[in-house]
Parts: sequence; C-alpha cells; structure tokens
Amino acid sequence: MRKSFVLILFFLIAFSGVSFAEPQDDEVLQGRIKEVSKTLRCAVCQSESVWESNATLAIQMRKIVRERLIAGESPEEIRAYFVGRYGDYILLKPRVRGLNRLLWFGPFILLSFGGFFLYKTLRRWASKPARTEPVAFSPIDDAHRRRIEEELRSYNE
Amino acid sequence: MIVEIGHYAVVTALLLSMLGVAAPIIGLKRKNAAWVQVGQRALILTFVLITVGMVAMIYSYLTEDYSVKYVYATSNSKLPIFYKIAGLWGGHEGSLLLWAWILAFYSMAAATLHWKTQPVVMPYLILMESIVLCGFLLLILFLSNPFERIFPAPLDGKDLNPLLQDPAMVVHPPLLYLGYVGLSIPFSFAMAALFSGRLGEEWVKVTQRWTLFAWICLTAGILMGGYWAYYELGWGGYWGWDPVENAAFMPWLVATAFLHSVMVQETRKMFKVWNLFLIILAFSLSLIGTFLVRSGILSSVHSFAADPGRGVFILGFVAFMLLLSFGTLILRSAKLKSSVTIESVVSREAIFLFNNLFFLVALVTVFIGTLYPLLMEVLQFNKVSVGPPYYNAVFMPVALGLIFLMGIGPYIPWRKTTAKNIKELFGLPLMLAFGAGVLLFIFGIREEYALASMTVVAFVAAAIFIDFRKIALFWGKRDRVNPFLGFLSAYRRNPRRIAGLITHVGVLVMIVGITFSSLYQTEKILIMKPGDEVSLKSFQLRMATLHGAEGVNWEGKEALFDIYQEDRIVTQMRPQKRFYTVSQTPTTETAIYQTNMGHLFVTIPEVSPDGTWARVRVLHNPLVLLVWYGGGIMGIGGFLNIFRRDRKRSVVSVASGVTAKTAPSLASGRDGIVAQRSES
Amino acid sequence: MAAFKGWHVLLLVGTLGLLAIFYQGLWGNPNFIPPVIVETPAPEVTGPDLYKGTAVSLSDFRGKVILVNFWASWCQECKLEHKSLLAIKKHYEDDPNFAMFGINYQDKDHLAKDYLQVHGNNFDHIRDLDGRISIDFGVYGVPETFVIDQEGIIRHKQIGPIIGDVYSDMIEKVIDPLLNGTAGIVGTVSSS
Repeated sequence: MRKSFVLILFFLIAFSGVSFAEPQDDEVLQGRIKEVSKTLRCAVCQSESVWESNATLAIQMRKIVRERLIAGESPEEIRAYFVGRYGDYILLKPRVRGLNRLLWFGPFILLSFGGFFLYKTLRRWASKPARTEPVAFSPIDDAHRRRIEEELRSYNE
Repeated sequence: MIVEIGHYAVVTALLLSMLGVAAPIIGLKRKNAAWVQVGQRALILTFVLITVGMVAMIYSYLTEDYSVKYVYATSNSKLPIFYKIAGLWGGHEGSLLLWAWILAFYSMAAATLHWKTQPVVMPYLILMESIVLCGFLLLILFLSNPFERIFPAPLDGKDLNPLLQDPAMVVHPPLLYLGYVGLSIPFSFAMAALFSGRLGEEWVKVTQRWTLFAWICLTAGILMGGYWAYYELGWGGYWGWDPVENAAFMPWLVATAFLHSVMVQETRKMFKVWNLFLIILAFSLSLIGTFLVRSGILSSVHSFAADPGRGVFILGFVAFMLLLSFGTLILRSAKLKSSVTIESVVSREAIFLFNNLFFLVALVTVFIGTLYPLLMEVLQFNKVSVGPPYYNAVFMPVALGLIFLMGIGPYIPWRKTTAKNIKELFGLPLMLAFGAGVLLFIFGIREEYALASMTVVAFVAAAIFIDFRKIALFWGKRDRVNPFLGFLSAYRRNPRRIAGLITHVGVLVMIVGITFSSLYQTEKILIMKPGDEVSLKSFQLRMATLHGAEGVNWEGKEALFDIYQEDRIVTQMRPQKRFYTVSQTPTTETAIYQTNMGHLFVTIPEVSPDGTWARVRVLHNPLVLLVWYGGGIMGIGGFLNIFRRDRKRSVVSVASGVTAKTAPSLASGRDGIVAQRSES
Repeated sequence: MAAFKGWHVLLLVGTLGLLAIFYQGLWGNPNFIPPVIVETPAPEVTGPDLYKGTAVSLSDFRGKVILVNFWASWCQECKLEHKSLLAIKKHYEDDPNFAMFGINYQDKDHLAKDYLQVHGNNFDHIRDLDGRISIDFGVYGVPETFVIDQEGIIRHKQIGPIIGDVYSDMIEKVIDPLLNGTAGIVGTVSSS
C-alpha cells in the first residue's frame, strides 16, 4: 500500500503540468527567493530543494516564499511557516539545537580533539629515543633523498 | 533458451564460488597446495560462467526477448542499440549482475597475475574474493534474478528510464563498480596479511596499483555521475549531496586517505594497523553504500526500488563482512607490537597523519550527514533532512584544510625538519598566496569562501610550481639539457612523486572550478513567450520560437533561443521538454553553450499545455568545465602512477635483505621482509 | 594474552551500533513525513466551490466536526477510497454537527468534474487553485484526510487511502468520539 502511495508521488511529479502565470521579478527579489528556497526541501521530491525542483509543489512553495518575502517576512519567519506545516523535515539545513548539535559540531570537535591527541602522541613518540637504528628506514627513498639533498646543496652553492 | 543457459551458468558459478570458499580452507588445513589450485580454477571458471550469463542477457536485449522480465522492464524495441545493451545496468537486477561480473573479473585477474609471486597470499585472496562473490551471486539468484521470465510474453518493453538514456549514464555505473569492486583486491590482500600474520610492507606494495586503478575508476565514475546530473537533471548543479552520491564519495575519501598513508608504511614502516583499518573501511563502505542504495533505506533520487527482503539479505551480508574483517583486525592487531619511530612533530610522516585525520573527519562529516536522518527516524525523534547547506558549512572548511596540507606534505622532509628549513620551503609560497588573495580582493572577489579557497589554492599551486621549477632546473643543468627535458629527466627518476603532484594539480584545478561555478553562478527563472528577451551577465537571450519536436521514442516541445552578446548573435540554443511515450516520463533536456571555461545553460522545465509559454531557467556557470578538466588531470596523474617504471628494483630486494638481517626488532619473524626474502 | 585497547572496543561497538540502526531503518519509510500539524489549530483556508465557484471558508463551519479529504482525479489510490468517503458522508447524513469537504489537489477543473461524475458524489468540493490550501495543511501527496474538531483543532491525519480497517476506525475511533465528546486529548495519525 505504502509503495503505491509513493508511486502516486512520482506520478504527481511526472504530471506537474499545472500552470500559473507569474510576474517577472527583479534580480534582487529573485536572489532572495533563491536564498530562501534553497534551504527548503521539496517535500515530494527526493533530496532536491524547492529552488531546484520543477515539481508542482515546489513551484507552489516558491510562490509562497515570494509572496511572503514581498509581504516583508524574514527568511526565518518563512522557514518557520513551513516547519509548522511539514516539520523539521522541510529544512535542508538542520536547526542547531538538541541532538542536531552533534551534526553541527561533531566533526569540528573530532577534528580538534583528534588534532590535539595526535599532537600529544607525536610529541610523546618524538621524545622517545628511536628503538631501532636508522637502517629501519627504507634505504631506497632515504638514500636517494639524501643524495638529492646533497646534490641540491652543491647546486645551490 | 539462451537466457536459461545464462541462468544455469550463473547457478553453476554460485556453486563454484562456494567451492572457491571451501577449497582454500581445506588447502590451508591440510597444507596442500593442490586445493588452493582448485580454488583458483574455480574462481577463473566462475568468471567465465558469469560472462556467459552476461552474454545471454545482452543477447536477449539485442533480440528483443521481452519474455525476460528484466529485459521487459528496462528496454524497448525503439531504443538505439547502444542503450539496449546499457539497459542491462539500467535497473537493480542487471546492475548487480554487472557488479558480480566485475568482481569475478578482478578476482580472476588477481588470482592469475599474483599466482606465482604471492603463493602465501593466494589461499586467503581466493577465499575472501569467493566469499564476496558468493554473497552477491546468492543475492542475484534468489532475490533479484535478472533471468526470470514472464508469461505471457509482452509484445514490447517498458523502456529504459529516459534519464538513463544518455552516454554518460552508459559508462557511469560500470566505472563506479570498477571502483567499488576494485577495492576488494587490496582488501583481500589486507585480510591475507592479517590471517597469515605477514603484516609487513609487502601487501601494501603489491596492491598499490590495484588501489590506484580502483581509485581512478571511482573518481571517474563519480565525476561522470556529476556530469550526468549536471545536464540531465537540469538544475545546473553537479553535486547535490544526495545519499547515493555520498555513498560513492565515502569510499573515495577513505581510498584517498589510504593511498596517502601507505606511503608512510612503505618508506618508514609505520602505521601498519592503520593502513589495514583504512582499506578494510574503504571496502566496507562500498558494501555499505551498496546496502544504502539498494535497500531503499534512504530517500534519494537514484535509489532502486525498495524491497525489505533484499535489504535484510544485503544487511546480513554486510554485517558478516564487517564483523569478519574488523573482528580479524582486532584479534590480530592486539598481538602486533607497534614500531613507531617519530623524530619530530614537524615531519612528513606527521603531516601524513594530519592528512589522514582530516580525511577521516571529512568522512565522518559525510557519514553522519547521510545517516543522521535515519538515526533520527530510528530513535523516533523529529524527522530531519540534511542537505547541501549543511555540507557547505561543515564539509567545506575541512576540505579546505586538506587542500592546505597538499601544499605542505609533499615538501616537508621525512623524519624531521628545522625552522630555517620551513622558512625556506614555505616562505615564498605563503607570500605568493597572500599576494594572490589581495589581488583577488582588489579585483572584486568578496565572498569569504572564494577568497579563502583561492588563497589556499594559490599557496599549494605556488609550492608545486616552485618544486617543479627547482627540479627541472636542477636536472636540466645536470644532464645539460633545457629545463623542460630536465623536468622529464626528473620525472623518470622519481615518477611516483611527480605523478602524485600532477594529481594534486588536478585537484587544484577542480577546486577552482567548484569555487567559481558554485559561488559565482548567476541564475534566472522566468516565464517566457516567443519574442521575449532576458539578459544574463553579458548575454541576451531571445526566445525565437517555441515549437513541437519529436524523436524515435519521445515527443515534446523545443524552444529556440537566439543568444546575443553586444547586439551580435553568437549562437542558438535549443532546450527541450521531452515526453517519453512508452515509459510515460517527462524529461528536461539542457542546452549548453560553452563560453571560455564556463557554460551558459538553458532549460525549459515546464511548457504550458497550449504551447504558448515556457518556464525558462537560464544559468551562467563560470569556470564549471574546470571541475571535469581537473578530474581529467587527476586521472592522468593516477595513470602515470600506475604505469610508472620503478627504478632500481634490484636495490630494493638487496636493501630489504639488509634490513631484515640488521633490524631484528622489526623483523619479528612474521614480517613481510623475511617472507619476501625466503620466497625470492 | 592479547591486549585489547580502547579503539578495539570503540570499533566493535560502533560497527554493531551501525548495523542495529540499519536493521531498524529497514522497517521505516524514508518518504513518510511525520505530521506536525496534528493537535494544532486548522489553518484558515478559503477556496472556490468546485461547482458553484463561490468562496467557501472552513472557519464558517466552526463548532462542527469537519472531515477534509485531499484528492485528485489523476490519483489512483483516491479511486480506492472514494466509496468509503461516500459512505462516511452517508453515515453522518443526519448529524448536523458533521461537515465534510473534498479538496481538489493539483488538478484541472473539468477532469475533477469528470471524476466525480464517474465515481459518484454526495459532498462539497473546494478547488485548491495554487496549492495554498494543501501547503497550509502540510499535504505532500494524495490522498490525505484530516479531521478537525469543534474547536477548530486538527485531531487526526490519515495518510493514504481510507479502506478496510482504516474506514471503520475513522468512524468508530475518530469521528464518533469527537461528536460524542468522548475523544481523548491526544491527536492521532495513521498511514496505510
């Protein structure tokens, strides 16, 4: 049952031939429409924004965004209107709150902790005397490198 | 009849792959090489038999045998021959068959090419590859059988999805699978290293070219998919951070990290466990990607039809592989003594570690971004979406950090460096980068992201250029030739390094393309009637006519645009709105006009029923071509690396012999070096 | 004895956790959007009557239990539930406290009328000209059905067709309790 319901959604996207005459906008307004509708998900599409999608629902949503912008609403207010209807699902940019913070700060926390831990570990390793003699290093690259370095030095002089 | 032959061939292939699992185990138990040979033969035969299956399917496509259900679903008599064949990977069942066939091909190739040189690895390699093959053949035969017939036979097919009727889409899936599946070879070698306890450098060296090849295919596959999305989906972007795109991107990130960190293992014999972990993770992610794409668990433009049965099977298989490989890694590595020797925090090996950290964070970003909606659903919290604005904010800074490291890693010496050295190495590039940033600001680049990314790109480019210039002059002087020949001479002496740097150049070119085409894209959406004009950047677009058009299997509307620049007509563009009659699907065909390295891009996503007006989307994408040119350069760098001639092969074995003798602490008896010596 | 380290445990737990999430996720529907609109006041919507063309406002029916059904002539599943809709209307024919509307979604005027001609009709329909009504209700596909209580609060949302058990539940568990005043305070959602 659920499957055929999804099929209907596809059908809906496919036959979105409904037409609406709309006025032409100046570039500033269109830019603002783009800015807002790029952060909204087209509810019937699969991970497309309202700006990119050509589904009827997306076209209608763009129109609502446009009207609300003209009426003087802020992008935040417009997003709040859609969230009130479709829930957080409609936002392509999850709000920074609750568990979503994991999403927003997780990578940076990982990066800073990882970087710190790595630095500490490297320092610890570096302060330890090498357990093996230099032969442990692969002789090809190093010997070659040393030679290049020597030759470079003689070349620079 | 032919299809039944194909079907039975694949059934036999399944039985043989089971033999491929059993034989090496018996061989190892009884220490009998003959059993391993049985396994190898089974693997080769498996490949032959799956080929028979593929040929049978292609035959039924070409002979328009619509009694085969899958052919019926993905083909039509009106299709051009090219797309008839491509119909095989136009749906779930057939693309799985292609997957299995490519896997069998890789396994066969690896088991044959390394048969003589890697006898110790062989049983494990055959075992691992056979396990994966077995899993996929089971899935094909029991849950997604492309050979299934329908009765009564329909007169004609339902047609291939029109979005897939496109040259880029014909090569995209095979390339992507070559990449995904190619990672199975280094994975199997890594598992062999774990099982056999030979955790030295050998598996890393042997699999280098396999990994590179898989990496090139993955890169090309991803870029091809991006190009397809760019002009076929018609919204002017090539990357939407869609879950399925991410599923291909994640193994790429890990494979790239792996390609970098193996260099440390090769030259400094460090990070052994880390490299094993990375390659296992890379292949696991391609399996997880397969699961995500084919189980219908995530909402995506590209997903295949959902079927919980398939999902459960693939998940079971993924679980088995993950637990097997990570479990083995944990059990084995617990016994491995680490042999880390770091002399300075500022050294190339240290920078490699930071490189890996950044790659890992990039991966985590994409990973949680992709799976977060699923997590929220499972926890029964509010459902959320994670889209491009998130990745732009979180992924991009991490990516920028990685690119910055590209300007440091290759130039900083191994082991340790001095402050003076650093000043010499990076002083000039830093100054140049700063200068470039100021210059861009003066020329009116004001977006923070654009400034940041271009400054970083300038830094890396300067570092690469200075390095290239130095070696070209040096070798030119030494060999008494001009600097260009000197560069070639340098290339011959260290092809790996220079090929790698060429790949880096490709990345830089791509970053320039991505930065400009995304931040400086201009776009208008409007309703136009014939005679209407619109201007975009320096172009005037005039819709001359809006008329009917038709092709072999579609009908629709076409708009003719005259494009003017300074009142002079420069070109005409013909975007279309098509309706494919058999499959009853509309598509939007893009018209593209190339200007410098950028594109003028026009689509008509909607035409009024009476044909009097059209919704027009016009875009100017500056420098967008650099995205793919950069990809091309990356590929060239990769191929140069694969086909490079290593110098002084003899020195390697002699030298490692010396190492094994004089460094007993490293060669703990199970080390690869010892193994290599005893074999040679 | 092998020494297990922190990352061993982390890797194992992470892998198992991931597999558990995947397994759970298999039973969900990625395209299902949980309605946040249930238990909130129904939006003030106005649209033209399909036949008469006169403006109809839902707020004019405050004080009644209102069933609002979103449908379209091109929607296959709407055909499945159409009989149930007619039956619901019939069931409450004599109840002055019940009102029912169809909202014609992304459709053409004549196609909608043809559809009703073929499948029968006994209640009023409002045209949703530019999608405003359906977006106000958070509709993302058809059929979807809402039940609004006497206070104008949305108390139930049904995603997918009203057939079989959904039909009897709609009458016995949703509309009747609202009419008798025996409904719980928690809004309900179901999907089929």
